[in-house]
Amino acid sequence: MALYRYPFRAMATDDELQLATGDEARARRAAEAAIADVRRIEAKYSRYRDDSVTTAINRGAGGAAVAIDDETLALLRYAGRCHRLSGGLFDITSGVLRRVWDFKRTPPSVPTAAALAAATALIGWGDVEWDERTLRLPRAGMEIDFGGIGKEYAADRAATICAEHGIMHALVNLGGDVRAVGPQEDGTPWHVGIRHPRRDAAAIAEVALAAGAVATSGDYERYFELDGRRYCHLLNPRTGMPAAHWQSISVVAPLCVVAGSCATIAMLLEAEAPAFLDAQGVSWIGVDAQGRTKGPAAPR
Amino acid sequence: MPASASPNGTPVGALLAAALALPGMMATVAHAESVPDAGQIAFKYLDYRDWQPGADRMRVKSPSLYILKPLPDSFAVEGTLVYDGMSGASPRYYNSLSGASGQGVTDYRTAGDVKVTKYFERVSVGIGGAVSSERDYLSRAASLDVRVSTPDNNRTWAFGIAGTGDVINSVNGVAENQRRHTLDVLLGVTQVWSADAIVQSNLTYSTGHGYYSDPYKLLDTRPDRRRVLAWLTRANRYLPTYDATVQLSYRLLSDSFGTTSNTVEIAWVQALPAGWSVTPSLRYYTQNSADFYYNPPFPRGYVNGQHYTADTRLSAFGALTPGVWVIKRFADGWSADVKLEYSRQSSAWRLGGSGSPGIETFSARWIQAGIAKTF
Repeated sequence: MALYRYPFRAMATDDELQLATGDEARARRAAEAAIADVRRIEAKYSRYRDDSVTTAINRGAGGAAVAIDDETLALLRYAGRCHRLSGGLFDITSGVLRRVWDFKRTPPSVPTAAALAAATALIGWGDVEWDERTLRLPRAGMEIDFGGIGKEYAADRAATICAEHGIMHALVNLGGDVRAVGPQEDGTPWHVGIRHPRRDAAAIAEVALAAGAVATSGDYERYFELDGRRYCHLLNPRTGMPAAHWQSISVVAPLCVVAGSCATIAMLLEAEAPAFLDAQGVSWIGVDAQGRTKGPAAPR
Repeated sequence: MPASASPNGTPVGALLAAALALPGMMATVAHAESVPDAGQIAFKYLDYRDWQPGADRMRVKSPSLYILKPLPDSFAVEGTLVYDGMSGASPRYYNSLSGASGQGVTDYRTAGDVKVTKYFERVSVGIGGAVSSERDYLSRAASLDVRVSTPDNNRTWAFGIAGTGDVINSVNGVAENQRRHTLDVLLGVTQVWSADAIVQSNLTYSTGHGYYSDPYKLLDTRPDRRRVLAWLTRANRYLPTYDATVQLSYRLLSDSFGTTSNTVEIAWVQALPAGWSVTPSLRYYTQNSADFYYNPPFPRGYVNGQHYTADTRLSAFGALTPGVWVIKRFADGWSADVKLEYSRQSSAWRLGGSGSPGIETFSARWIQAGIAKTF
């Protein structure tokens, strides 16, 4: 048996498949099929592409309803469930806040209250009109964005494709969203490092993954600092303001899509994160504002 | 942790349940016909010994080598080589004729089989051949098996057919170039019951003709046709609370010699930390005697040429076999295992009727040690 590694780039992240098998041809077939599916999902839901489902829906905002297929419907249903369970904090229509928060601007600035109010007025998953065949964004300027679940969904599907090719030991990593297919070939768990939220190449903890997934949400992906405060890209759809309580939260769950959405919701829930995560039956590691690790999976 | 409900009253793990509705979250071919994705080589050494009160009977030392190799284009080839060195007497069938059978014998057996399997998306086809050779016995077999999975991959059908040709040349000259031909047909189904439970049921019909008698047993004369119907059902269930799997099996076997046997077995596969697993098991076997089995002493009214045997294996008895199997898996695909089984068979342990009288309790034990490596 050997471990075959297939690094690739998709969804604007560095990705890798690690497949342990005695059959290299099979590993290659599995990797090709899995990577093709990741690229398919990227093309279908990218908001940067003119021909994507997301762009078609957003273009119709304030206008006519857009037809949706079964896969899109399933993702919308899951996003709706996240919206409900998070009390509205997880909202796939909150991407409009990107228009008022520019994390690349120098010098950085915090949007005015008026600008935030105008943006939050365009947010509201509960206002979206949709059924099993069509979806319509009711107000011009509204938009949806599958960024919060698309990559994790792709990681789970890539894992399934590997398993369906008979690969029993594999690790899928899509830009830090990690999903395992079985343990390593010797039966021991995969060791997944949790990135230190303040130091680039350092790990703050390790997760042993014999199956399932780990995903992390952190304040270090896009942010700026102003007057001693960090403003990150994880934005509360009600206030339009960034989450502040945690530097990062990593969630261990059977599926990557669950780990990812739980991590995002937990960041936005701030102090209420532990109760929510425990209620979801997932394990987690949080790094609080002071840099201390918390949670059932945190190192002791 | 965990609370029984989240603050807004939804059940624990509601997001996971919702996520499972997404397409492509679960492998749909977890139990389908998948080509082995690694080669395996295993060496095992079996030491078998049986005895009756006051007398050691047979001893077999048997090393074997197993190799499985995946090949390109979804082929896999596997094969086994066995060498048995046997010494001792063949079983002493009843006390009153103690010593009638068998001065000490030393014999050997070499056997090998090879099978090539081609895997398609939902179908696998295997073709195999086997040879077994002893000083007085040569057996050759060929087999074909086909496995078909349903589109949801929760059920697999198995069809098998095998033909065997045997030639018997007993050392004592009783059997000279005697032949036996057997045809086996198998129909089986494996059903995934849930994520943690699987059930398998196989029906085998076997028909054979030729020489069935034991040339080393006095006046042993058996019918020249034998038909066997066997039904085997197994169920495995994983118990997450204990990280263990419980395995149950039942086999009913009935043949045209008039014997019917029932076998039940229970095993508990306990996974332990650091790659260990321990499997205690218990098997109970019970059978009635063949129509032409006669209790010792030698039957009155015996007519020369009539069907007759005094082979204890065709008598009425019951047997209990406790065992334990310990496996340790190391890094780099190595594993080692030791299996111990002890069997005690007694006519008094037959279920649903009395056992054949006049037979001493028969005991046997197996010690098997092995190492294996996946590559």
